[in-house]
Amino acid sequence: MSTKEPTEADILRPINTFTKKYIILYGAAALGLVAFLIAWAYQLQKGLIVTGLGDWGSGGGSTWGLYIGAFIWWVGVAHGGIILSAAVRLLGMDRYMPIARLAEMTTIGGLSAAGFYILVHMGRPDRMVTSVIGHYHITVNNSPLVWDVTVITAYFVLSATYLGLTLRYDISRLRDDLPDMFEPVYKIMTIGYSEKEDEVIDRMVWWLAAAVIIMAPLLLHGGVIPWLFALLPAMPAWSGGIQGPMFLAIALMSAISGVMIISYAFRRAYDWDHIITDDIFRGLLLWLGFFTLLFLWFQLQANINGVFLGPTNSAVAAEAKMAHPLYQMAMAMAFLTLVYIFLQAIRPSLFSKKRALVASCAILTATLTEKILFVVEGFLHPTFDIYANTPGTYFPSAIEWLSLVGTAGLVALLFLNLSKLVPVVELHAVEHMRGDHEHSDDATEPEVEA
Amino acid sequence: MSTDDESFHPLGEEWEDELESMLDDTEYDSELGMKMAQDAMRVTEGELSEAEFHDRYHEEVMEEFGEDERPTKEAYEAAQEEAKGTASRMLDKFDGDGDETRRETMKKMGVGAAAVGMGAFGTVADGPEQSLAAEKGPRQETTEESDTQWGMTIDLERCDGCLSCMTACSQENDLDQGVNWMYVMAWEDENHHGASESGNTDVNSDFNRLSDFNMLVRPCQHCTDAPCEKVCPTTARHTRDKDGLVLTDYDVCIGCRYCQVACPYGVNYFQWDDPDVAYEDIDGFEDPEDPDEITHAKYEHGERWVDSRAPRGVMSKCTMCPSMQDGKQGEEKVGTTACETACPPNAIQFGNVKDEASDPSQHREYPTKSRAVINLNTDIPSADVVDSNVSDGDSLEDAIEAIDSTEDADLDADMVAIAKAIEIRSRESETEPGDGENNSILEKQQTVLEFVTALEEYVDLESEESLATLDLDMTDSLEDSAQIRLEQYAGDPSSFQLLEDVGTNPNVTYLGTQPGPEAHQVEGPTKYEDVDLLDKRQEYLDKETVGHVDGVSL
Repeated sequence: MSTKEPTEADILRPINTFTKKYIILYGAAALGLVAFLIAWAYQLQKGLIVTGLGDWGSGGGSTWGLYIGAFIWWVGVAHGGIILSAAVRLLGMDRYMPIARLAEMTTIGGLSAAGFYILVHMGRPDRMVTSVIGHYHITVNNSPLVWDVTVITAYFVLSATYLGLTLRYDISRLRDDLPDMFEPVYKIMTIGYSEKEDEVIDRMVWWLAAAVIIMAPLLLHGGVIPWLFALLPAMPAWSGGIQGPMFLAIALMSAISGVMIISYAFRRAYDWDHIITDDIFRGLLLWLGFFTLLFLWFQLQANINGVFLGPTNSAVAAEAKMAHPLYQMAMAMAFLTLVYIFLQAIRPSLFSKKRALVASCAILTATLTEKILFVVEGFLHPTFDIYANTPGTYFPSAIEWLSLVGTAGLVALLFLNLSKLVPVVELHAVEHMRGDHEHSDDATEPEVEA
Repeated sequence: MSTDDESFHPLGEEWEDELESMLDDTEYDSELGMKMAQDAMRVTEGELSEAEFHDRYHEEVMEEFGEDERPTKEAYEAAQEEAKGTASRMLDKFDGDGDETRRETMKKMGVGAAAVGMGAFGTVADGPEQSLAAEKGPRQETTEESDTQWGMTIDLERCDGCLSCMTACSQENDLDQGVNWMYVMAWEDENHHGASESGNTDVNSDFNRLSDFNMLVRPCQHCTDAPCEKVCPTTARHTRDKDGLVLTDYDVCIGCRYCQVACPYGVNYFQWDDPDVAYEDIDGFEDPEDPDEITHAKYEHGERWVDSRAPRGVMSKCTMCPSMQDGKQGEEKVGTTACETACPPNAIQFGNVKDEASDPSQHREYPTKSRAVINLNTDIPSADVVDSNVSDGDSLEDAIEAIDSTEDADLDADMVAIAKAIEIRSRESETEPGDGENNSILEKQQTVLEFVTALEEYVDLESEESLATLDLDMTDSLEDSAQIRLEQYAGDPSSFQLLEDVGTNPNVTYLGTQPGPEAHQVEGPTKYEDVDLLDKRQEYLDKETVGHVDGVSL
């Protein structure tokens, strides 16, 4: 650990510098996004036929594919991000305070990418407002897709509120050192601010965090998102109560990995060795190992349930999934990462930030692969498995692959823009690390004397 | 709402007209319904008390329905009590006297009161607007079930795999290559081998001579509990209340494909690109109003575009030809579908499955007899032929000989036996075709019964001698002998529905062998490409995939 004392100047550095590397990164991210926007425009012009998708059944295709797989993956990253940040606040995990805001921003980015995927995936995105919102009061009773849109919107609002509220403290205190060109934005963000509200905001954020933690298993990646699949009776590869915990584990794995990569990038770019410390990476890596362990355990449960004396349809689906080389690859990546995390935990000299970075990339690749495969497997081995053309064929088209680049670009742009506007590390975190902020360690609610 | 709108309903005149036409479709008095609806609105506005409203129409409602269970009953009874001077406070509670209670009354009744007039008539709701009204109104009265549910009974042992239904469907709806709303396949599993293998024991009756294959005919099942409809985020996929057809509103669908994902049967086909046949090129587009030249390309029921092939970016599937069911293609096509009409061996029986006299019901409930009727009907001589060729005192053999020797008829003892057996077996069940649409099996049965009646004018078919000749004396019971005779002739198929355990409640019933869980499709008697159909649509779709590499798949 560094002995350097974190300062306000440290967290202001991203805002007040402008480097060539930043421009190159910005250009690359923008290029990725624009390239996909052009591809999407082509898709809108020609129809979804330009994708590799098709009709399952007699048609011999896969109804959903990379778009939906990537959609649930991004939602997972987003949900995991906000859970991470909420846990830091709720459980007083002060060690991770410096990355709490990065996790919140990851949530905003992930949800934006996921929302974008909903549009990209539709045959008639122009009807989103009239058809979906116009019949919302009826469809919300039945359609898991509508529940999905509902919770994603709710979480966007929740996360943005969360982020917006905590930013008021920082902006009002650091205002003099922030660039004048964004003056109107800061003014709006700190409208009506007085120091008296700090305590209230603290409490509000605590409750928001509590809501996030409570809702995560019920409504987020432990609930509504897996229900999109698990509730359908016709696709044995998707069904089962294990999907809730499975999705939640994947969400947390992806989010922790994502936050580690982003933290690594910021630490490297702005010399934040003393802010985003090695200690944080070690801790995150352990959490990643924990959730990876859960993930592999759930996978084992799902597979055993299918292959050992399962009903015919589940057995076929489970056997096909296990036999798929991409599935084996994804599981191997997750398992090897878990082995590494275990080893570095018992022998700390095996740890390095680069290795943590590699582990994060491996997990993200594994979860994305698993997600896409999960979606496609459903169509390949349905209960009504009589068709000669089923299992069908599917391979993502160039446009679909490009969507991954585009959405990654979108999220990168979000970070690049936000980092020029507001501090991505909380002032609270700096104050806390310096020890000058008398932040009571207990929760904001005073303990009740029984 | 414009000021010159004379309508009583807040949603305006158009809405009223639509409601009125819905009332017209029911068996009840439309005028009474509209009058009641008008006064019901006055109740919500506080101009009329619930009790007064109830009293005003009590007699007429009793006359029309034989009961009066409108929600205003309580208020009415309270008022009656009040009149007797026993419960004056009840009136305050229900009669909307004073601000607080009036608001409460209005809240309670709300739009519901308006629906009282309408709802009592058992009208059916269609479309999101109506279902909205139904949700707010008293449910028990507005959602009375329609007595029509279109569906099919498909005799798989009659299917010879000629694919005529598939091509007829494709032509009727101008479907793209590979969009096989109707799909016919041959299959095999452990217990049921196909024609290719020797020793096939499935084919055991005289009647099942049409195909050596195990067939499955798969249109949309138009499920009563359709999963596709449940998951739809837009209400585009909907069940028509008036006749239970499950349809897609092409103007509302957003193309998320969740219906295709949720359907366990795989009947949905997405319109991935522009349809091969442009909207303008569809036959009959020249004069959409002319019933002879009817286009159903942009067919509308109410305001919904639900028929024929879908435009780009939305989902399509078998519709069971709603333009036919609504009489847009002429009265003679009501109760038929393109596939049913095209099927040479009459394997597909379409109709109102809730009507006991309909073809699908008859075929489902009396498969043996119905098969015999369908098969015999085309050859059976008419009653006139019997009258002009048979004379009193003729023996059965003479009579058969006399009819068979004429130019316009063929007859043998077997045919007479089957006809007589049909007559015996139809004594205990419905025989009148009724006024249902195209109840052809019972109509055909009538022809057979007429023949039997005519013949029995001259010959006693139930004499010991005749029964022996007709082979109808196998058991002591005439009914049992007749049934055995029919089963020998037509077989006794079991019936099933596809994936019954999934709980979709399909409205297609099958006769014949049910494919087991490991059944797989095999090449059938007719190849798809031989009749210009594309089986694997992916082959076509892959051509347009950007960056497609042949043979690479997840």
